Amino acid sequence: MAAGTSTTPHHVMVIDTNRCVGCWTCAVGCKEVNNEPLGYWWNRVLTTAPNQSTSAKKPASENIDVPWGEYPNVEMSYLPVACQHCNDAPCVKVCPVQATFRRDDGTVLVDYERCIGCRYCIAACPYGVRVFNWGGGEYAPGGVVGYGKDYRTDGHLVFEPERPKGVVEKCTFCVERIDVGEQPFCVEVCPLGARVFGDLNDPASEVSQLVNEGGAVQLLAELGTEPNVYYVPTRRRVMTET
Amino acid sequence: MSVTRRAFLGGSAVAVGGLVVADKLRFLKPAAAAAATAEQAAGTASGGALSGAELVYRTGHSNNCDGACGHLVHVVDGRVTMVGPAPWGTKTVSGAPAPTFHPRVCLRGLSQISNTYSPDRVKYPYKRVGPRGSGQWQRISWDEATSLIAENFKRVQDKYGKTAVWVAPYTGSLALIEGVVGAGFRFASVIGASAGDSEGDNEGDSATPAGWNYVLVDPANPANGGGFFTGHESVDFLSAKAIVFWANNVAETSIPDWRIMLDARQQSGTQLISVDPRFTPTAAQSDMWLPIRPGADTALIDGVINYVIKNGLYDAPYIRAYTVGPYLVDPRTKKWLRAKEVIPGLSGKAADDYVVFDEADRRLKAAGDPTLGSAALFGRYGQAGLQAPTALQLLAEAVAPFTPERTSELTDVPASQVVALAQAWGTTKPLAVRAGFGLSHWYHGDLHMQALLTLQAITGNIGVHGGGVTTFAGGLTTTAFDLLHWWAPNGKPYTLLEPMNFCDAVEKGKPFPVRAAWFMVDNFAQQMSDRNRVVNAIKQLDFVVVSDYVLSATAELADVVLPACTYFEKTDLLSSNNFYLQYMPKVIEPLFESKSDLDAIRLVAEKMGVGQYFDKPPQEYLKEILHLGQKDADPTVRGLTWEQLTTEAVHLNTDPIPYVPFFNKQFPTKSGKIEFYVEMLVPFGQELAVHQEPIEASPTNPLFKKYPLVFLSTHTRFRTHSQYVNLPWLKEVNNGGNGFLEINPKDAAARGIANDDVVRVFNDRGQMKVRARLTEAIKPGVVNCYQGGWDTLKVKHYIEGHPNNLTHQIAKPAQALIPNFPSNAAYYDCLVQVERSEA
Ligand code: SF4
Ligand code: SF4
Ligand code: SF4
Repeated sequence: MAAGTSTTPHHVMVIDTNRCVGCWTCAVGCKEVNNEPLGYWWNRVLTTAPNQSTSAKKPASENIDVPWGEYPNVEMSYLPVACQHCNDAPCVKVCPVQATFRRDDGTVLVDYERCIGCRYCIAACPYGVRVFNWGGGEYAPGGVVGYGKDYRTDGHLVFEPERPKGVVEKCTFCVERIDVGEQPFCVEVCPLGARVFGDLNDPASEVSQLVNEGGAVQLLAELGTEPNVYYVPTRRRVMTET
Repeated sequence: MSVTRRAFLGGSAVAVGGLVVADKLRFLKPAAAAAATAEQAAGTASGGALSGAELVYRTGHSNNCDGACGHLVHVVDGRVTMVGPAPWGTKTVSGAPAPTFHPRVCLRGLSQISNTYSPDRVKYPYKRVGPRGSGQWQRISWDEATSLIAENFKRVQDKYGKTAVWVAPYTGSLALIEGVVGAGFRFASVIGASAGDSEGDNEGDSATPAGWNYVLVDPANPANGGGFFTGHESVDFLSAKAIVFWANNVAETSIPDWRIMLDARQQSGTQLISVDPRFTPTAAQSDMWLPIRPGADTALIDGVINYVIKNGLYDAPYIRAYTVGPYLVDPRTKKWLRAKEVIPGLSGKAADDYVVFDEADRRLKAAGDPTLGSAALFGRYGQAGLQAPTALQLLAEAVAPFTPERTSELTDVPASQVVALAQAWGTTKPLAVRAGFGLSHWYHGDLHMQALLTLQAITGNIGVHGGGVTTFAGGLTTTAFDLLHWWAPNGKPYTLLEPMNFCDAVEKGKPFPVRAAWFMVDNFAQQMSDRNRVVNAIKQLDFVVVSDYVLSATAELADVVLPACTYFEKTDLLSSNNFYLQYMPKVIEPLFESKSDLDAIRLVAEKMGVGQYFDKPPQEYLKEILHLGQKDADPTVRGLTWEQLTTEAVHLNTDPIPYVPFFNKQFPTKSGKIEFYVEMLVPFGQELAVHQEPIEASPTNPLFKKYPLVFLSTHTRFRTHSQYVNLPWLKEVNNGGNGFLEINPKDAAARGIANDDVVRVFNDRGQMKVRARLTEAIKPGVVNCYQGGWDTLKVKHYIEGHPNNLTHQIAKPAQALIPNFPSNAAYYDCLVQVERSEA
């Protein structure tokens, strides 16, 4: 599926796994800017083996920061995962009321006024990044934090500081920020500069270079979902010489 | 990258957490949420959108983190709603271009909102009504609280002497007015009390600074103020061709600095090398990782020095020009040979000069002799039976036993890696070292630093861009601030009592009795080593005051607890670990009845008759400390205006930019050179940096049979010491906030311990209970439990106790040579045993 036209940007995010140190700042920033209730994470950081194919490798542990291998021949990498903003998104296809929709810029969003909470999308999403708002959420700082206002695009209500009970939530690419030329908040706060956001239609953009020449790849590319989030694979390093 | 569908469908869906990788994400179950009370949220009620004008302030993150990030804080209706990274000023005070510095923040900084609005906040002053530590409190007014403090301090001072009141302001904040150099010292001075050390955190961070001063500073020279400690500006690492992270997990503990290291690798192919017993995120991203035995650091450095010397990889011109390497040592006394002893006819300064052997005309000469051709680096020279070696010759002989094989035996690092490290060190220039404070948490931490500087000296890496040994750098350690007048406005400074001497002062009245204490920006009763002893000592005091924003383990032992502000609620200045001045405006009013420490001190001071020293707002004190607008302002801040200070983060006038200590190669030592041969350490047998086994954590220690595991208590990204530990956002991604013991599966199997089992960690000093986390990230024979979790009546992040129930307070006598860094808590120099236990 072609993304956008020449006048519409094609928004993509590229995450460099050579830079990501698994610090969770992006995830906490996401939690802050979107006022995610306790227990809910739109964005999270997995500990993986470098360029992990988990079909071949069992997770070393359910805990973070636990490496693969036997001391001192060990290896470890991190994989931040939020909505992949698929061009051919299974969640869009299964939504019976078109609450989940794809904008021309590639951003996949949920219209909270249309969502009926059937959760078909949660089952359909191969990346497991959607959360269901069961209601009664508790908020750590005891008040609304982050963007703090409603946001609509083409009439769709795609952000509310506190989502109503019974809707499905997920990463919005910080649509309210990118529409005014700002970066998604996770990109802004990442202390490593591991996250790059931009326009794939612009061949000079950093994301274009990373996708076209930097070898950035998509997660579960074989499923044909065509994510707009890319990952720069980990270059191998000599860890020990034993 | 091939990640298959199964990677994301590893288990059944956990709906609440969202992501379906249940077998990897079980830790993300919603925490038993801290109840958000209406009371804590002054402002917009939950459920509504934000209304009202949004104000954005720039401030600095003053918690005890080397990041010293600048934050943009958004405020709506008097309530903080967002924290994000702030830009840096682009100019120095005098208008020169400042280095490019990325806006920076980390997960702790972003979580500050939930810290300020935490249900754990102490809201009002309290006095103790039950036995000490019983948790029985009565709310009192500020007036009553400050009267109680003033009366009791006066009573104790009258009965036991002025210094019997000990003020302990520590590193919970690195800001100027309140924190490690803050108003607490001023208060101690004007009431004649004693106070802890202000040069930095003495609770374990003094050994490496002492070692740094042995080699680079003459502590006896008043111009050096008793010793100092600084390093290279963070962006200077962009100039390095190799960076060695020695016991420094930058990628986890100074996260934004790691970006600079990765930028260096990307831009210049800089090699990143990690030396650490643990496979940290830093090690995982390094080009080489040396898995060292804890405490064997100097042995590895000696191995490198030996290889560098044997293979001629040292920098001979640098050694001749800037180090004591060619100076002759008198073999009888081990002191420097003086010119008058071997060269007749000298008078004045030349008579006391150092002696070198001129290779050109093969004669002994005074080091300053203008006819000197080329001083010999190696060999023994002299006359009439006196064969005096050069300092470098002595070094070469001292490290000769540290062959790659012997070094490998001592360090557990493979000999091939010892050679690889030495080869890199000898052939890559400039090479920088980032040494973590973990290196300081050893009895011989001073020696580790002495060894690193010795190696950096002989390879010509000191005082150059992209070189040096950096632990901490920045404003606090510069001369920009007139701290002496700030601390002692009446000219009579407080009496120093080191934290390491606190227990003796209480228990034995040595060096003088301490009967009352005021702890502020510190959690001494939990974070100080040999905690059981510390808690006992605090309990023996006649009167204890604690200022804090949470009811810490220390506050629980108080007679009076004062509610402190978080940094959003007061005005201050941050100038720490970078070379920017970051004004910290008050962005919201103090919550509840909390007050800044300056205000709290003022109220007590007024009742003790010294209120005049605290009657100005913080802005005025900042101007005084900076000598703002005055001709005698330090050159680093001369010409600074209040407007400049309060509108952007302005870079100090440093030379060079980015800052490099000793760039002019003028070393403030006795010789003016780098003194890797340390004459004043001769009585301690430590004139050269030769490996010595740890005082406790060594297999050569008979105690090792009983307690065969080295016990580390390192930092995690989820907290800063004992701050941020109990915040819901961070707890959700950090094992619910619960501590755990990292143990290698081999050590676990030998003890019948499975992952998540409750274990008892113990030695003769105490014990703790915690769950085991089996991980190949830790060396067999070593265990680690992240420090800083709370052990209070209400909150227990460990099942029982705290890592500091196990650590000790054995101080190294040699360190007393450096007045500002005289003693050190060797947290990691600690042995334990671990066994399965019942919860
Ligand atoms: S903030 Fe950046 S470095 Fe940290 S986990 Fe996220 S992507 Fe990785
Ligand atoms: S990652 Fe999941 S939620 Fe996001 S667009 Fe793709 S299918 Fe939809
Ligand atoms: S805790 Fe340290 S690294 Fe994190 S935002 Fe604060 S100063 Fe920066």
